[in-house]
Amino acid sequence: MRSATRLLGLATVAGFFALAFTPLPNRLHRAFASPARLGPADAIVVLGAGATDDYLSERSLRRAVHGMRLFQRGLAPVLVLHGPPEGSAAPEAATRAALASDLGLPAGAIVLAGGLTTREEARQSWSALSQAGRTRILLVTGSHHMWRARAMFERQGFTVSPAPVEEVAAEGGRPELRLAIARSVLQEGMARLVYRLAGVV
Amino acid sequence: MENYFVLVLAGLTSLAAGALEWRRHRHPAPALRAAAGRALEAVGLAALFFLANVGTGALLTVAARALDVGFISIYLSTDVTLLVLSLLQALVFQGWREARRVP
Repeated sequence: MRSATRLLGLATVAGFFALAFTPLPNRLHRAFASPARLGPADAIVVLGAGATDDYLSERSLRRAVHGMRLFQRGLAPVLVLHGPPEGSAAPEAATRAALASDLGLPAGAIVLAGGLTTREEARQSWSALSQAGRTRILLVTGSHHMWRARAMFERQGFTVSPAPVEEVAAEGGRPELRLAIARSVLQEGMARLVYRLAGVV
Repeated sequence: MENYFVLVLAGLTSLAAGALEWRRHRHPAPALRAAAGRALEAVGLAALFFLANVGTGALLTVAARALDVGFISIYLSTDVTLLVLSLLQALVFQGWREARRVP
């Protein structure tokens, strides 16, 4: 038992050094990330990524700003901002909408939606857009999350063009940045496993 | 250079600590080997606890969704705090195991 635990410890230490000091995480990133395929669409859909009170998480902010930039490029006439409420605070979506308004985006082009999971977000986007025939979307989410999100939205009936956001420094050259990539890949790997176990994808 | 800077720092302080210990004790090598073995054991235990914690989190996430009894984000199970907690679990468990061996 003790020697087995020591072997596992040795493997863990070796794994740590491989993740922190070699380009392994950068390669993992390339395997997990989805490439962008930008083009005109009926709507831009920005998925939620967490907020506390009116403070958007870094991921949430990155996604929202990317969606707004695509909107400003004229790629779609509607911008859907997702984000569930956090406790009794303002919903993430409303905080993002306030930012969009401050940056000069027309209020009439913005649709707010909730959803705790990617699947719920796909459903809510569908009910907000499909009646107006808006089924071709540019989907904005993290580059690691895109594969799963795209599957959910296509399953819902959308035609999806990926517009991924880099949420970690993909070519991270410092140990801390490489570990951040490894953590993001671990999170997404876990989520894909859970979705497979639940029979969602 | 920025890639290996932290390794250089850790290497320098390890060498300094090693030199001090070498001065105080004439033949510290066997004790160093034993200490390294115990450290690897603690890291191995921490890895086991971490896998168990993450696995339990994933199961609870799936169960909560299947039974519709609330929402547990899968991302909660990969919080970096869990690494530190797993290491603490491992150190306590290792110490407990060793304490039981002492007559």
